[in-house]
Amino acid sequence: MANATSNGWLNWMGNRFPESKQITLGLRRIFVIPTKASLALLVTLAVLFLMAINFQNSLIYALAFWLLALIVITIFFTYRNLSNITIRAIQSDACFAGEKAVFELEVSCPENQKKSAISLGWKHQDLAVINLQNHHSVHIKLSHGTKTRGRFKPERLNIFTTYPIGLVVAWSYAVLDMESIVYPEPILQESSKDGQGMNDEAIKGHEIARGSTDFSGIREYQAGDSPKHIHWSTYAKTGKAYTKTFVDYANQDIWLDWDALSLTGIEVKLSHLSAKVLQYHQEQQVYGLKIPGKTIQPATGEAHKTICLTALALYGLD
Amino acid sequence: MFTEGYAHDTQITYSGMLWLLAAQLVVMAPLVFFLPIWLLPVLIFSAGWRMRVMQGHREQPSKTLKTIIALLGLVALSASGMKVVSLDMMASLLMLGFAYKALEVIQKRDAMVVILTGFLLIGVLFLYSQSILIALYGIFALSILTGALIAIQQSKSYAILPNLKLSSFMLLLCLPLMLMFFIFSPRFAPLWAVPLSGGHAKTGISDSMTPGDIANLSQSDELAFTVTFKGEKPKQNELYWRGLVMQNFDGKTWTQFDEKLSHSAIKKRLRINESALRNKLVKKGYGRAYEVIYEKTARPWLFALAPVVNIEGEAIYASDFTLMSRVELFEPKMLTLTSYPEALREVDLPEETRELALQLPASDNNGNPKSHALAKRLFSNSSSKQDYINKVMNRFSQQVYYYTLRPKALGDTNTIDEFLINNKKGFCAHYAGSFVFMMRAAGIPARVVTGYQGGKWNQQGKFLSVHQYDAHAWTEVWLENKGWVRYDPTSMVAPSRIEKNLEQAVDAEGSFLENQLFSMAKYSWLNSIKNKMDSAQYAWRRFVIGYDRNSQSELLKRLFGELTLQKIAMIVGGFFIGIIAFWVLLLGLGKRRIHEAEEHQLYRRFCKRLEKLGVKREPSQTPKAFSLFASAQLPRLATEINAFSQLYSDVCYKPSTQSQLQESIRDLKNLLKKVNKS
Repeated sequence: MANATSNGWLNWMGNRFPESKQITLGLRRIFVIPTKASLALLVTLAVLFLMAINFQNSLIYALAFWLLALIVITIFFTYRNLSNITIRAIQSDACFAGEKAVFELEVSCPENQKKSAISLGWKHQDLAVINLQNHHSVHIKLSHGTKTRGRFKPERLNIFTTYPIGLVVAWSYAVLDMESIVYPEPILQESSKDGQGMNDEAIKGHEIARGSTDFSGIREYQAGDSPKHIHWSTYAKTGKAYTKTFVDYANQDIWLDWDALSLTGIEVKLSHLSAKVLQYHQEQQVYGLKIPGKTIQPATGEAHKTICLTALALYGLD
Repeated sequence: MFTEGYAHDTQITYSGMLWLLAAQLVVMAPLVFFLPIWLLPVLIFSAGWRMRVMQGHREQPSKTLKTIIALLGLVALSASGMKVVSLDMMASLLMLGFAYKALEVIQKRDAMVVILTGFLLIGVLFLYSQSILIALYGIFALSILTGALIAIQQSKSYAILPNLKLSSFMLLLCLPLMLMFFIFSPRFAPLWAVPLSGGHAKTGISDSMTPGDIANLSQSDELAFTVTFKGEKPKQNELYWRGLVMQNFDGKTWTQFDEKLSHSAIKKRLRINESALRNKLVKKGYGRAYEVIYEKTARPWLFALAPVVNIEGEAIYASDFTLMSRVELFEPKMLTLTSYPEALREVDLPEETRELALQLPASDNNGNPKSHALAKRLFSNSSSKQDYINKVMNRFSQQVYYYTLRPKALGDTNTIDEFLINNKKGFCAHYAGSFVFMMRAAGIPARVVTGYQGGKWNQQGKFLSVHQYDAHAWTEVWLENKGWVRYDPTSMVAPSRIEKNLEQAVDAEGSFLENQLFSMAKYSWLNSIKNKMDSAQYAWRRFVIGYDRNSQSELLKRLFGELTLQKIAMIVGGFFIGIIAFWVLLLGLGKRRIHEAEEHQLYRRFCKRLEKLGVKREPSQTPKAFSLFASAQLPRLATEINAFSQLYSDVCYKPSTQSQLQESIRDLKNLLKKVNKS
């Protein structure tokens, strides 16, 4: 039953706050509720009313009524402080699981308006407090902790303010269309023999005969050799055709191969591979990645690293 | 609550702290006039420490230090001689805590506590005084406290003025709603008797009369009460405002009873219900209706023209035809009364009252033998009681008696002899006391009445203000078929006291308010200013401070006619909606903002401009097609048109431009400006 109602609530919230790249806070989105401070003020008011009644003191009545009116008008002022703020998702940075994903937002307010002490953030996470004035916009970076790899969509972003006098809080949710890729946490499994073996192999290198990259020597021409590779100067001296031979080296062509790992557990493997990718990237090696369903040809560089890590992050998810 | 669980900054900013300290000072400053003055230095000390901590010169005060300071404060309070259960004590404790809080305020929550206490202390201030000036000061303190509330919500320090502006603006907007609450909300009778009387110095007529008391009172120009008459104002010499009836004489002092009683015991003894009171009256003459606003005295006595037959407001009848308030007057009080000054009172005199009215002190030391002998002689020479009374009265004018505000001390024994036979210089209390003595000595029931006589008529405001210097004592004598009849021996000695006022009566002596150097009442050339101020004060007392259940129903009836609950609900609802609508309009919350992205707004303006130049965009045309078309039509603007359209499509459709949106918008604006200029 409780579940059903909470689902209903979430559905309602979902309908009320559809996901988008940019939202502007308006009447439909803003809620105003009292804070503890206003409850404390109500207690103070009760004391004042008692004083007013027992001492038949008109001025204390007036004071109490003025404070009561202040609570009422605060609703409007606090609402005004939050309304018409526009929040736009700018970009989100990837991170490793367990680290914090950083989201960049742009917050702006319309002309001739002033917004003070606006808080944006997630519960138990990062919180930014900003002030805006007259068509200004600010870029803020908010971080959110992550636990598991994959696509990370932060929960609804809370935007709230208690300005000007802290008696009520005006708040709104923004479901911004933004997500961050969370890479598997890099954990190198040193005990892994296969990983080690593969490592040795990579360092020793395997000559792959009849490659085409590096010149290694000349031999007698055999049928089928490319005429491009015929060593013409020898042919001119001796009248015999020789062919230049080339080799490709496997040690510049490391393959991070899922199947070659003797580790058990998908996440362990992904974490290990993630660590390896970082390591080779650090060492500026050329490496490729083979995971079930996806093969990434050896390459090097920042973009390549991102592609590899993203593939690891999204393994089994898409 | 909602804001919990966020990585809030719970510390307040430097300017927030300054605001808080300023607010504390503002709230405490006027209260030190009513409470121990050393509370202010305590606050200044704590505030100074706090400032030095914030500037990094000093450590946070340690727990032991804080405890020691708090204990010192409590010791000082207990040594100050205030009653433990009294308003003064409560208020002082509140102030002490308030001042100490300055030592340790760091968090927003603490700041909130300080500000709420500040609101409470403004209320306490109003308990001590409800004058216009204090009310204005209260408003000032309220806006400072609200400014401090704003300051502690701010995430960065701002200048002082904008905060003050905002807080004043908010309070100003609250005003209509506050007035609505004030006027319409129901008023209740006190829920319980308030024992916190310590804070109020007792003023005015006391419950005993020793010759000399009233003379002291006459040195005060404080207001006692103000009166507006529903009909014509009675003549000045008819304005006898009865307060207390003194029956018992111990040879020196006149009191109500032969024992010292508390106010509540006196009320119990004298209280009488309305029908019993009416039975003791024979109505004669015509009724006078009037409205009185009594200043606070911390005593229960009320003053009225006797006898009162109808009361609107909180008061009880006493069997001696006086009125008493249910609770001591800690606040100004308003009553509407109807009196029949010519009615006969107690034509059938109860035996016990007669006994009381004939009581004389035991004759060992206070026999006043000379006066007794005088009474005997005069009475035996008189043809009737009335003749005797006239003889005694006339004696005051025929012999050389002086009316003086500087009477000689009479000693402790045979005081009546001393005054009546030897000294012959006295104030109203001397004359009233000795007159009653003479009556009782001849077996005629008589008693002393204290109260006020006369008052100052304010022609501008059509009201009568009665001051402490109008305090007076006179007598009542009981006669067959006439009941209690008023006799004022002072009128024989100093007719101008009764016909005009005290100032005239002691003009030659120059003793009017002689102890008060700066009283405005002394200087007649200040009278018109004083009159205006009195009028303002009176209006304030009557319409603001005196606004209670009675005046509420009267006002509402006058404004809206006969009231039903439905009607009130509709009126209040209407007002409320009106006020809310006013707020929404004023704060610009009703405006529908165009939720169109800015680039689209700019493009629409661009198209409008081109239309003015003669090139209209068909709805079917894409921006690119329109751009080609328009630049062909307006070759001199071709570059701008193309650039604008290109940039616009980029902003709309190329995600890569999103990060430079601000620059793009700026460029679009610049281009539009160029197009507009052409």
